Amino acid sequence: MNISFEESWLHKVNPALKLFTLTFLFVFAVTIHHLNYMITFTLTVSILFFFCTGQPYKHLLLFLLPFLLVFFSTAVSMILFGKGETTLFKWGLVNVTEESLYRGLHLGFRALVFAMMGITFVLTTKPVQLFYSLMQQLKLHPKYAYSFMAAIRLIPIMFEELQTIRDARKVRGIQSQKGLSGVLKSIKSLPIPLLSQSIRRAFRIAVAMEAKRFNSSNARTFYYHIGFSIYDLLFIVYFVLTISLAYFFALEFPLFPVTDVRH
Amino acid sequence: MECITSVNKLKLKFPEEEGLLFNDLTISIRKGEKVLLLGPSGCGKSTLLQVLSGLIPQSIDIPIKSESIQIPDSWGFIFQDPDSQFCMPYVDEEIAFVLENLRIPKKEMTGRIKELLATVGLFLEDIHTEIRTLSGGMKQRLALATVLALDPEVIFLDEPTALIDEEGTAQVWDTVKAISKDKTIIIVEHKIDQIMDVIDRVIVFTHDGKIMADGNSTYVFSNFKEELKRFGIWYPNAWEEYKKEKVQNTFTEPSDHMLRLQNFRGYRKKENAITLEKAAVHSGEWIVVTGANGAGKSTLLLSMMQLLKTSGDYRMDGRPIKKFADLQRKAYFVFQNPEYQFLTNSVIEEITYELRQRNEVSNAEFVKKANDLLTIFGLKDKQKQHPYHLSLGQKRRLSVATAFIQNPQLLLLDEPTFGQDSKNTFKLLELLQEECQKGTIIIMVTHDLNIIDHFATRVWEVKNGKVISDWKKDEIKTGSEGNVYEYIF
Repeated sequence: MNISFEESWLHKVNPALKLFTLTFLFVFAVTIHHLNYMITFTLTVSILFFFCTGQPYKHLLLFLLPFLLVFFSTAVSMILFGKGETTLFKWGLVNVTEESLYRGLHLGFRALVFAMMGITFVLTTKPVQLFYSLMQQLKLHPKYAYSFMAAIRLIPIMFEELQTIRDARKVRGIQSQKGLSGVLKSIKSLPIPLLSQSIRRAFRIAVAMEAKRFNSSNARTFYYHIGFSIYDLLFIVYFVLTISLAYFFALEFPLFPVTDVRH
Repeated sequence: MECITSVNKLKLKFPEEEGLLFNDLTISIRKGEKVLLLGPSGCGKSTLLQVLSGLIPQSIDIPIKSESIQIPDSWGFIFQDPDSQFCMPYVDEEIAFVLENLRIPKKEMTGRIKELLATVGLFLEDIHTEIRTLSGGMKQRLALATVLALDPEVIFLDEPTALIDEEGTAQVWDTVKAISKDKTIIIVEHKIDQIMDVIDRVIVFTHDGKIMADGNSTYVFSNFKEELKRFGIWYPNAWEEYKKEKVQNTFTEPSDHMLRLQNFRGYRKKENAITLEKAAVHSGEWIVVTGANGAGKSTLLLSMMQLLKTSGDYRMDGRPIKKFADLQRKAYFVFQNPEYQFLTNSVIEEITYELRQRNEVSNAEFVKKANDLLTIFGLKDKQKQHPYHLSLGQKRRLSVATAFIQNPQLLLLDEPTFGQDSKNTFKLLELLQEECQKGTIIIMVTHDLNIIDHFATRVWEVKNGKVISDWKKDEIKTGSEGNVYEYIF
């Protein structure tokens, strides 16, 4: 995938720090049971997502589309069929209660905030930079870092190959098999050539890496020095500040008259 | 002169195979020598390179036994497949990976990278270029640059041009020549025309891993020509010799088919990727599609097979071809990697697959045809083997055999002779020619100019997604076939 975009300040944040912070925020989001706070927290993340990834809005919305679907499906299923005491609306199996409404919304927002944090990270972090940073800041073993980088290089090659294998099999008349058994057979037969190619290629790359004197036990220098900068501070301060503000607004100007969705 | 790499009484056996690949092989290479290893496929040339470099047994776990083995202090290795020897996505990062391994300080890296790229003649606008945008020849030169970063005494090259086109091959060998001055070079290669002037020692192996000849190239090629021919080694002038010996096959009554294409376009991701203004093709024609890497040759073939979206008027025997189903059992596409097309667990099942799909296994005529094909293609005694366990040449023949069983009216092939030895190449081309004379239209992508000279009847040249020239060979004066090149480029 090759999408043109501008580099924003988020790209300059130390990848390991970014990963660490966002992982922390993932856990943090799980501990939020306050609906109003969940909404304001989602807002803080969406500001980064919409304004600081450097991507055109068209792409951002496109990336978000599947996750909006997740938002609606989790929220709606929770709202329509959840348990609760104060019934707002009842029709057959559908039983919308105040509690289920809030719980549904809460769950939906949680799914959305996870998605936005994930996409923001992926959009603003180059894999190579991330692994260099992990090696330098978190002392990740080069053996794993370079294996991952080599593997990432293989992914687009695998996709191309999958298409070719499909075509090649079509020529041999695979698609003429009708019915479920035919479909199953083709699903079963695709991974074998694909994996056989990938395993062979992975082995060759591994040998080539060793031929280039890659030795996981030796010390090494780094082409990219990934350090810390003012942007890292900005990143941390942004979250500390906005999360505090979010908490304040959630308490002072609540959108919904509810505190903890669990009760 | 002092010896730089050697092995004494080497014994080597592949775990899954019976018998020893090498039994008491002794070989020694002196410093500064430029050595070419030749031998039939499967004789162990590549394996020997890996032993001499120490990759076996350090990186590749194959048990070996020898009285003594000397591995050079510094060496570099160029592999066959340009796509599976890099681990980083960008050119500069790949070279930097080697420099990092050598613990070169960061501040020296950018300078070194530029210097190395200049040495191999890769002048990129930006050293931070994605590797996958490079052509095969450029990738192999990048591989050479990474090897030079190691400042090696010995460079091992394992068929570095087997998978790249003519132009790329020339670039790679020119680079090798330029850098080889005070280095020892050990090469395994089938296509040897372009390297003969650098080579000063040729070692020929028999199929069971013994040294048959060892000496300078004049000595080897004048004394062992017959053996080289039998082993399928591409010795200089192999094509000319082959042509002299070729006996014209008896002509069978051809069936008649016709393709008509007008304003034909193929699309990739909704973009027009190939255009063919107008062409009519008749039975018995053998069209070679030529052009640079990425010009759209494969796209043209995929479009003609209806595997891509197309527009325009495309007719076969007068009937319009709009979708893939219109071509079923009429056309067949042989892909570059034969493994992609294998569906079953044995050679015999593979070749009878189409028949079983149509419940015609009981039809004696078809079974006979399947057996005949196996005999012709030299796969009769491999019937029970798994297709993946065949050699590259056998795999290719099997994939072409599965095409023939269908009696296609149009046969499309993508680089069917890539990386094949001369025996397999000639065999395959002869079989195709027979099929062509029976009335099958053959359209084939190839980089091999010799095929145009000796087999094709017509050439389509593709450039920037367009078929820009279309000429028949008998239309030009065929007095001196060597001049054919001029018409292509």
